[in-house]
This record gives sequence, C-alpha cells and structure tokens, in this order.
Amino acid sequence: MKALLFACCVVLFSTVPANADLRPPTKPANQNASKPAQEPKYILHTGLEIATDPKAYEAKLQIPQSQLEHFRAALDSGPGNPPVVGGIALSSTRTIIAGLLMFLAVSIAGILIARSSSFGRTQKAVAALVLVAVMIGAAAIITRGNAGPPGSYRWRNLPQALAKGESTFGGVDIEVVPDEQLSGRMRLVIPLKKQNSSGEE
Amino acid sequence: MQSVVELKTWPSTESLPSARVFVAVVLLCTIAAAAFASWLPLQVSIVTLFLFAGPHNWFELRYFLMRLPVRFGRSRNFFLTAFVGLGVLTLGYISLPFVYKTTPWTEEAWSTVIATWNTALLVWLGLLVWLRSKQKSRSNWAWLMPLGLVLCSLNWLGPDFFSLAIVYIHPLIALWFLDRHLRRTRPAWSRAYRRCLCLLPLLLAGMIWQLSQTSSLADDNGLFWRITQHSGAEILPQVSSHMLVSVHLFLEILHYAVWMIALPLIGSKAIARIWDVKTVPVAKHPKGFPRLITGILVVAVAVVGVLWFGFSIDYATTRDVYFTVAIAHVLAEAPFLLRMI
Repeated sequence: MKALLFACCVVLFSTVPANADLRPPTKPANQNASKPAQEPKYILHTGLEIATDPKAYEAKLQIPQSQLEHFRAALDSGPGNPPVVGGIALSSTRTIIAGLLMFLAVSIAGILIARSSSFGRTQKAVAALVLVAVMIGAAAIITRGNAGPPGSYRWRNLPQALAKGESTFGGVDIEVVPDEQLSGRMRLVIPLKKQNSSGEE
Repeated sequence: MQSVVELKTWPSTESLPSARVFVAVVLLCTIAAAAFASWLPLQVSIVTLFLFAGPHNWFELRYFLMRLPVRFGRSRNFFLTAFVGLGVLTLGYISLPFVYKTTPWTEEAWSTVIATWNTALLVWLGLLVWLRSKQKSRSNWAWLMPLGLVLCSLNWLGPDFFSLAIVYIHPLIALWFLDRHLRRTRPAWSRAYRRCLCLLPLLLAGMIWQLSQTSSLADDNGLFWRITQHSGAEILPQVSSHMLVSVHLFLEILHYAVWMIALPLIGSKAIARIWDVKTVPVAKHPKGFPRLITGILVVAVAVVGVLWFGFSIDYATTRDVYFTVAIAHVLAEAPFLLRMI
C-alpha cells in the first residue's frame, strides 16, 4: 500500500512541470495564399481570472509584476521561443532521442533490479513499481501529455458567472498579434460554444 | 582494561582541537563566501576571477601531476581514454564559438550540436567509469549505466539546461576531491568535514530564499552581461539574475578555496611545499620525468601571468577566452576523481 502511495506521489509530482493542456501548434489559416499572413506569436501560457466589479468605472486589465517580467523576457527572446519552457525539447528529433534514451535507461535499470540478488521479491516489486511510475512521469514531461480536461472546460460557465457577478478562473495563452489584425485593440478570446435555448451546447 | 581505553581514546583527544580549528575555518570561510557573494555579486565575481582563476588552475595541475603514476601499468587503457577524450572534447568545445560565427545554423541546429557534445562527454565519462570498475572488482558500478542514460536523455530534452548544470555542478566536484583527500590523510577531519557539508544546502537554500525576490542585476555593459549570462540569466529569465550570479559565485569561491588552500595545506608537509618539484612523485622517481614536470609547471606559471596581463588589458575578452579554454580543467577532474574512488 505504501509503495502504491509512493508511486502515485512520484507520478503526481513529476507531472506538475509537464505543462499539461498546452495548446496544439497553430496552423496558418491560408496556407495556399500567395503571401502568407503574419502569424500571432505565442508568448506563454498562464492563468486568467475574469471578474466583475459593479463599482468600477472602466474595465481594467491587471497584470502581476512577475508575469510582466515573463512577458518582457519572452518578447526579448527569439521568435517562437517562449523562454519559460523554451529550453525543454520542442524539437521532434530531440524528443525522440530523449525518449529512446529514457526507454533504454528504464529497461537496463529493470534488468539490473531483476537480476540483483541483494533485493528480495517485495523490494523488487516496489522498485519495479517506482520505475514504472518514474517512467510515466518522465514520459509526461517529455511528451507534454495533454492530461486533464480541455482548457475550455473551465470557461463553460462564464456567462452564468458573469450574470451572477461571480469570477471565473481558467488558463490563457498570451499571443502578440500584428496590428492590422486587431486595429490597435486588445482582444480576449474565450473558448465558449454556442448554447441553445435549453442551455445545451 | 583502563589502559586499553586510554590508548584507544588517545589519538582522538589529540586530534580534537585541530579538527575543531578545521571546522571553524571551514564554517567561517563558507559563511563569508556566501555573504560576499550575496552582497556584491558582480564586483566580487570580477575580483575573484581576476585573482584566483589562473592560480587555481595551476594548483589543480600540480595536484593532478602528484596523482599521476610513473608507469600506467594496468591503468594504461584508463589513462589513454582519459587523455584522448580530454583532448578531443576540449578541442571540440573550443571550436564551437568559431563554428558559431562562421555557420548560419538555426537555434535548433545549435541545440543539437550542444546536445551532441554533452552526449560525447557523458559517453567518455561512461567509458572511464567502465574501465575503472574493471579494476575494482568488489564494487558494483552497473547502476551507473542507467543513470548515465537518464542524464543523456535529460540532456537531449534541454541541452542548454544540461550545460548550465555543468557550470553549477563543477565547483562542487572540488568538495568531493577534498572529501576523498581527507579520508586518506585525515580520517578524523573527514567526519567533521562531512558534517560541515550539511551546512551547504542550508546556506544555498537561504541564499535562494533571500535573493529570489531581488530585482535582476543591471547588465547594461558587456562585462556584467557576460557574468549574468554565464550564470544562466538567459536560460532562466524568470529567475532573478542576482540570485543566479550570487549562487554561482559562492560555489566558485568554495571551488577556489578548496584547490588553493585546503588541498595544498591539508595532508603531508611534502604536498605543502608547492615550489619543490621533487615532491611530485613523477618527477622524484628514478624513472620519472623531472625536466618535463618542471617545464610543465613553469609554463603553467607563465600562463597564469599571461592571464593576469590579459585581464588587466581586456577583462571581458580574457574572461570569454578563459571560460572556453577552462573546460579542459573541468574535464581533467573526472579521471583523477575516479582514480580516488
């Protein structure tokens, strides 16, 4: 039981930095066009809270100091290379090599544990369990597994929450868009599907 | 019976005061290093590198020569692999900046190049470990193979992070050398030293806690920019560069202190006579090479002088050159540390 709990903890803690629910790479809408349109530049993924304030005179966009530093750092770096996660493999070649090496490491470690005479049967079982847990955790980090519900799930009750004056919290991708696409305004795109009169999507 | 007890306790009671002095000096130096590194990281970094970068390399070279056998014997393959790998990896590392300037490779291609060099380093270390393990039949080093593969995998995931990890881990290797050295020469101090090492993570945690909220250092000139980049400010933009530089500088100061003060002074009196070439076994032995060793050490002294001259004329460029060439001493530590395990 302890081993199972320990293995669960290893998986849970190792999947924290997996940045689950990262949005898939965006494809240009007009690939066949003679002059490709300038794509939005993905900066980073963060959290957003939409709240209402009946006393407020103007809509406000509040940004934490630390997040602003992240934006600045991301903008200073090269195009399409968000620095917060930029160092971790974004290349398929490197990911494949890393995965293969990790597979080899786990396989060899497993063989060593199985052949070792200094471990008892219970200890070997525990070691195998931990090894599998570590492998799953590492795989989640390497592949950035899209664990959990989609990002739109958190925003599904936004209209009702706004009507009630309650706040809603969810994930948000920060993108820098060419001026001509937004006419100098900021735009917040919420992943909400149209609902019919009965409230069903 | 009482006399037996007295005999047993005699050596420890005699060594107690010296061990206490040793612990006091270690604690004082460590805390002072942490305080200076946190207080004025950029200024102390410039002064420290100017004063100690060259000399500490000379002391390291001398220490390695002291540990070099006159005849390689059964260790021939080990030393051959060590020296060939050292040469190839160093040349490869030094050529990287030149290749970078001459080729229009993408950032992704460069990441692959860096990952390849790091993999070559790990393969070389793996070979050395394997050769060393063949000489130590009682020890089981097989578990190092999956560990090496995990490191390789992590390197391919984030080559820049792996390279940065080398920058931070390298100073700690000196502490490992000191530990092995103390176990051989002063076992009574070894236990005290290991207790002192427990303070290191606490100090590092304290520094990180105190400095993580500080604003990043102003890297508005070329030299300050180089120092912050070397500590990983570009790779970890969300972390305060003040913290990064301070932590790295703290570890570097410890590294210099171990090579220049601790290792020469702790041990036999012969080791302490650094000017005497005859204290080096390879030079002292009848079948040794006294002229060659003298020549190597004299040339090394000249290089230290050139380095000081370079720092005086153009600190930033000399710093770049030094940290590129200094990879050789980082690599050289591996085979000699393995020989001590």
